[in-house]
Amino acid sequence: MKPGDSFENEFVITQEVQNGFISLFRDENPLHMDHRFAREKGFEGVVMHGNILGGFLSYFIGECLPVKNIIIHSQEIKYVKPVYLDEVLLLKAEIKNIYESVNAIEFNFAFQKKINAIVVAKGKFQIGII
Amino acid sequence: MSMVNEIFIDVLENDAIALTYNSTASDIPEWDSLNHIALVVAIEKKFNIRFTAKEIQEFKNVGEMCDGIVLKLSKA
Repeated sequence: MKPGDSFENEFVITQEVQNGFISLFRDENPLHMDHRFAREKGFEGVVMHGNILGGFLSYFIGECLPVKNIIIHSQEIKYVKPVYLDEVLLLKAEIKNIYESVNAIEFNFAFQKKINAIVVAKGKFQIGII
Repeated sequence: MSMVNEIFIDVLENDAIALTYNSTASDIPEWDSLNHIALVVAIEKKFNIRFTAKEIQEFKNVGEMCDGIVLKLSKA
């Protein structure tokens, strides 16, 4: 791997995914559950939990990168646009820096809607090769 | 040394850190293995340099690392 190399994977927040998240973490805020409430607040519908994207990112780092012997050192995510049920997201990550001295690799990433390439979340993460 | 000290304070979130030439990880409780990685990455970013794993392993203390930074910058 070298700076500039990029990797991507598709994700969808299905009802099953959202139900699983709610079942595990009990965040039943009406913005995520009540369509009427969400629309009254100016959204198209119930907004998916931002940290579901964090779960997708975990899967991506653990399962989609070409190395498996890794540990996450840090990650930052900024939510830019709301994500709604069943939207197809494309996660793209690009290597920004490699620190050979400590076996660390820094990535920039963005989740974008597959249908129109609008970025819904972006950030960076650093992994270590163990 | 003062710039490296600022990096240590920032990364380790300890305003009381006052590095000397002979400072080592054993002198600073927050300097564990994961923070060691964060420190090296922060230093390499700050000075826009890259160390090898061998160079990092051979530094006996903070002072030697600062000497290594100066040497890298002089060759840039």
